[in-house]
Amino acid sequence: MLNVRICVGTYCYITGGQELAKLKKNLPEDLVNKVEIIGSACLGCHENEGSAKPPYAKVGDVMLEECTEDKLLDEIYKQLGMERK
Amino acid sequence: MLDKEKFFIEVGSYQNNKFNNIVCGDCVLLRKCIGENRNIAVLSDGLGSGVKANVLSTMTASMAMNFRVRHEPILRTVKAIMDTLPVDSVRNISYSTFTIVDVDADGEAKIVEFDNPALLLIRDKKVCSIEKDKIVVKRENASPGQDERMIKMSDLTLKKEDRLICFSDGVSQSGIGNKDMPFGWEEGINDFIEELIEKNPKISARELSMRIVKQAELNDILKPKDDTSCVVLYVREPRRLLICTGPPFSESKDKYLAELVSMYNGKKIVCGGTTSQILSRELGKEITVNIDDIAAGLPPSSHMEGIDLMTEGIITLGALVELLRKGTPADNVTGEGPAWEMLRMILDADIIDLLVGTKINVAHQDPSLPVELEIRRNVVKNIASLLEEKFMKEVRLKFI
Repeated sequence: MLNVRICVGTYCYITGGQELAKLKKNLPEDLVNKVEIIGSACLGCHENEGSAKPPYAKVGDVMLEECTEDKLLDEIYKQLGMERK
Repeated sequence: MLDKEKFFIEVGSYQNNKFNNIVCGDCVLLRKCIGENRNIAVLSDGLGSGVKANVLSTMTASMAMNFRVRHEPILRTVKAIMDTLPVDSVRNISYSTFTIVDVDADGEAKIVEFDNPALLLIRDKKVCSIEKDKIVVKRENASPGQDERMIKMSDLTLKKEDRLICFSDGVSQSGIGNKDMPFGWEEGINDFIEELIEKNPKISARELSMRIVKQAELNDILKPKDDTSCVVLYVREPRRLLICTGPPFSESKDKYLAELVSMYNGKKIVCGGTTSQILSRELGKEITVNIDDIAAGLPPSSHMEGIDLMTEGIITLGALVELLRKGTPADNVTGEGPAWEMLRMILDADIIDLLVGTKINVAHQDPSLPVELEIRRNVVKNIASLLEEKFMKEVRLKFI
């Protein structure tokens, strides 16, 4: 199982984390049982003062900045070595 | 004598309008005098029903409350109210009833009653009688025998688990004309209350007042014949709640914060992602985010062992302020989501400790973010004053 952490801390939530969190329910069929979507209270990234790029998400050990659903799915397919349809 | 640390006076009230009326002709005012640690409750029933009764009772109750807060002698209060009330053009009398209950931190209760159904003292799960002094008060310039009012006064020393219950005549006269209570509920109320308390000895003032008014509504077959109101004061062991939000100003205090939270004796709420992370790190416990719980339009809540509720910070607290501002009737706290969850826990608590970290989250100062993202200290200040003034909670603030 590939762990995907989505930050739902204040900053990430209002900059798009809210949409990312919905991915758990709308996961493409070929990914079901291959990834686990986990929430995170804070991935600790806003400490990069002035240069934070929320929302953040983490696929495996790779941190994604200014994450979108598209970026997130790309990274997941890449790490699973699968072709994105 | 009541030990302040061990006792708390919970005040709860509930009201129902006469069937088809849009306003209540009764008025209930509750106030906590913070400096003196007194709780004052006033219940007034205006003549008739509807807007006119509402104006009369509101005026009576606010006068009684304000005179009482300023420690004016009771006779002066009553005379002032009688002289001020307008004379009803139909009945040619000036009239509204009231009950004033003033309880201080030592459990000394001063009770003044005028024409409301008798106030009840519940001790050891039974309705007890109260000794009352009777005084006759006259309206200024009234001819003999006219406009005389009988005031009943009593002093009581309350003990733990005592309850004081007062209600308007809409409660005692409910069900009038029914086969099983041709003269109204009257004595049946005592049995009803004793039975409720027997079944649930720790029933809160908020719930008890609601149950009494709802039963009165049932007696009138869901069409209340009069405005019905009930106020309950309950002396109980305080229920404590800790709301911890925000990282400490200095990182060296993180450990201290974690200690305060883990040692706290009561329910615990933690608001804020960073704060949760600090606690998780210091206490060595993992956080699980309930990521499915996004339906309420608020960031999802999380779970951590030893914490009753863990939520996101400032958005959730902002939503809580909105809920507190609106005020909610006792039977309508069924909303979903973290803010409602918090509200329910707050309503069940007596003493609320707010533990507030004052570190500014630099990321939130981004000018492109919505203005609703307020500074934590301001939000907490709003919550504290709403809880004290509107919900009669004891609030303690600690900044760290």
